[in-house]
Amino acid sequence: MPDSLAVQIENLSISYKINVESKKTLKNALMRASRGEKVRTRTVEAVKNLTLDIPHGSVLGIVGANGAGKSTLMRSIAGILPPSEGRISVNGKISTLLALGVGFNKALSGRDNIILGGLAAGLSRDEIESQTDSIAEFADLPEGFIDMPVRTYSSGMYSRVAFSVAVNMTPDILLLDEALSAGDAAFKEKSFNKMRQLCEEARTILIVSHALSSINELCDQVVWLHKGQMLASGEPGEITEKYLKFLNVGELPSSYEDL
Amino acid sequence: MSEGIDRVQVFEPHKSSLPPLKPYLRDFWRRREFATELSKFTDKAEYLDSKLGNVWLVLNPLFLALIYFLLVTIIQGGRDGLGGFTTLCHILIGLFTFYFAQNCILSGAQSITSGGRLILNQAFPRSLLPLSSAISAARQFWPTLPVYVSIVVIGKLIIDDTSIPGLTWNYLLVPVLLLLLGITSFGLALFFATLNVYFRDTTKLLSYIMRIWLYASPVLWQPDMLSGWSRIILYLNPLGPILSANSRIWIDGLTPTLSQAIGCVAWCILSILFGGYFFISRERDFAVRIS
Repeated sequence: MPDSLAVQIENLSISYKINVESKKTLKNALMRASRGEKVRTRTVEAVKNLTLDIPHGSVLGIVGANGAGKSTLMRSIAGILPPSEGRISVNGKISTLLALGVGFNKALSGRDNIILGGLAAGLSRDEIESQTDSIAEFADLPEGFIDMPVRTYSSGMYSRVAFSVAVNMTPDILLLDEALSAGDAAFKEKSFNKMRQLCEEARTILIVSHALSSINELCDQVVWLHKGQMLASGEPGEITEKYLKFLNVGELPSSYEDL
Repeated sequence: MSEGIDRVQVFEPHKSSLPPLKPYLRDFWRRREFATELSKFTDKAEYLDSKLGNVWLVLNPLFLALIYFLLVTIIQGGRDGLGGFTTLCHILIGLFTFYFAQNCILSGAQSITSGGRLILNQAFPRSLLPLSSAISAARQFWPTLPVYVSIVVIGKLIIDDTSIPGLTWNYLLVPVLLLLLGITSFGLALFFATLNVYFRDTTKLLSYIMRIWLYASPVLWQPDMLSGWSRIILYLNPLGPILSANSRIWIDGLTPTLSQAIGCVAWCILSILFGGYFFISRERDFAVRIS
């Protein structure tokens, strides 16, 4: 892949089978088998034949209605979901904030969760411990909360800690899924500044969000996904305007008919 | 360009069912600290790192051993060939060791389904989660050994004619045996953890399986009680040879027999290869199945 690219996606398709049964239990499976029924599955084609080049230092916004394949695309770039076809090349260290919350033990303190988050991201204990204070400071929790169990946190505090961990891992490529809504206006400003700083250091950011104004403000390119396909890409203002029009009147751009 | 950019990762469809093993194992080894720390933090969350938590970990199997001892002596009606104290010691060390395997398998089996958010958010070798459970199980097992040794020492001081051996060189084989048991249980945990992703009632079923497994293992009964063809039960059970060899070292003071040694190693290799294959060939599917 060319050196100038952070992520190169070539003819990517991702499909997977999901089980439509309500309960995935051995008991149900046996009962079904005794009645001679087959397992009902559905194949989801989450991403279809997508090609995309993301250069270093760019901020790419991904917009699209629910079920457009945005999260699946992010997970596949992170290496969590394997492609069904095509290939993804990633040049650099990835940090992710895909599922809401750090996702660890709620009985543990915020500090412990930060350490676990860093370890899960592949840092060593020493590396993460040296950064814990700055991460905690960035999350800007009320006095003393960082050493209290996470279950005592408000949801805003919880997502602020998660966000702080993700942006402070010094990633080359930062993947954020619906993470911009973390915290209040002041924290939002702070997180935007942090992301701009990351860009200046030639790091790359991919953002999935429904907050179109934030996308307009931060991104220098926007991709619109619709049912797994790329409908349009280009200037943030232009794409979000088209997307907004689609949301309001359900009108797809004329180019969609060619797809 | 930042200095950190030094490696290109390529994600492609996997043609074979197993991902490339070399990078997988390298990544697994590189992130082993995550497994040990995760296990420490999980114990901490359950207060198992406190003194009282530790006491409970020892008391639980200790009480169970006493109950089983009473049951066994009542059922046998005193027709026991071994002395009562020897039977108690056999049950104690057997139960402590079996509990190590059981904790490893049970919590390992749940580790994937309960690690949902982690699996959805980060790419890492998923086998680190059952490994972390295995490390916890080992950490919970260590304190039971000094408890066993002190019971034996006190017993030997009080009862003169006990047949429990004193210090022998054979005890040096115990760490080897425990390592084999740990690997075997980890392999079994990998198998059940995968199964639990597809059938969520596996762990429920597993608690019954473990109970039956305990009765089928030479813990409440001595391996010598079986003779002839029925001894095959000892070898059909993945934990059988290890528990027999364990009892032979601790209770009889003898070196494990050749067939026991072969059985231990064979089950260890078989379970880690089979469990590992079953798990690793399916782990890329977990993120889809978990959500």
